[in-house]
Amino acid sequence: MDCPHTLPGLPPRPPRISGHRASLVLALVLAAALPALAQISPLPPEKAFRFSARALNPQTIEARFQIADGYYLYRDRIHFSVEPAATRLTVPPLPDGKVKEDQFFGKVQTYRGGLIVNLSIKDAKAGDKVVLVAESQGCADVGICYPPHVQRVSVALPAATSAPTRPDEPPRKSWFN
Amino acid sequence: MGRLLRGGLIAGAGVIALATGVYFGLLQTPDMERRDGATLLALSLPNAAGVEQSLSQWPGKVLVVNFWATWCAPCREEMPEFMRAQNEYGSKGLQFVGIAVDQADKVEQFSKEFGLNYPTLIGGYGAVELSRTLGNKVAALPFTIVVDRQGRIVHTQLGQLKPDKLRTIVEKLL
Repeated sequence: MDCPHTLPGLPPRPPRISGHRASLVLALVLAAALPALAQISPLPPEKAFRFSARALNPQTIEARFQIADGYYLYRDRIHFSVEPAATRLTVPPLPDGKVKEDQFFGKVQTYRGGLIVNLSIKDAKAGDKVVLVAESQGCADVGICYPPHVQRVSVALPAATSAPTRPDEPPRKSWFN
Repeated sequence: MGRLLRGGLIAGAGVIALATGVYFGLLQTPDMERRDGATLLALSLPNAAGVEQSLSQWPGKVLVVNFWATWCAPCREEMPEFMRAQNEYGSKGLQFVGIAVDQADKVEQFSKEFGLNYPTLIGGYGAVELSRTLGNKVAALPFTIVVDRQGRIVHTQLGQLKPDKLRTIVEKLL
């Protein structure tokens, strides 16, 4: 039978009955190989562990890490602080991570994919800007680790009047109105 | 069909070979190869006892300079192999030197527990920035630089330097 040549790397042609198995093999191989190909260059830490923050109300900042596939952060190496120093920050216990048995460090908890933490702030004025500082440390599955990495995000606190009502809540009525 | 199947398998094998090669070689930086190592060799850092040590104190040796840290699991994993290679090739002119992105007390404790058989200098977190200027573009660890007897950088590697590769590189230079 006359079979057309298929170049490696090109998507398989629409399957003919005779080429089915070969196309399937090639597709499976490509699928298996692509994750390795995708990791040609490791990401710099600010891209591997993207940090962002926003004010949910004048007293609460939502901190968020977006963790790229193939990378992870250590739970006990994440620390938050806020500037100016006069502003007080309360960090709740971080959610449980995935337990990893490390041959050197024993049981450690790690985060993959992402992490969201709601932080409470006090002594900041509504309408002010604060800088949330996140220190984190993580590694990549390819076998590299990043030193502790500090990221800063400026967060504008909303004015007090626009704050606490959630959109799905009816406006709260006072008994005296 | 046989021909097509065979073609598919060959293509597949090619892709696997390419991907595997890329995967294991992905972290080396060929653009850095055969660069003058003067900047690296001019470096002087304290050891754990606080005594300044220059990297130029081993002229004519093949140097393997390894940026590492006690908190870096992949770094710790590859160090037994470095110790074996130091034992095996040390008398032929190979010298490993660690640069720790770490604190002196932690490095000292680790070196004793581990029985490290080559010197390690304390670079602190600043050392990782230094390694960036030597080709460590994402400033991660482990990062290893091989310098030949003439002081030229012949290989840089982000991520573990696997035993076979280490031996291949080093044996050519000794």
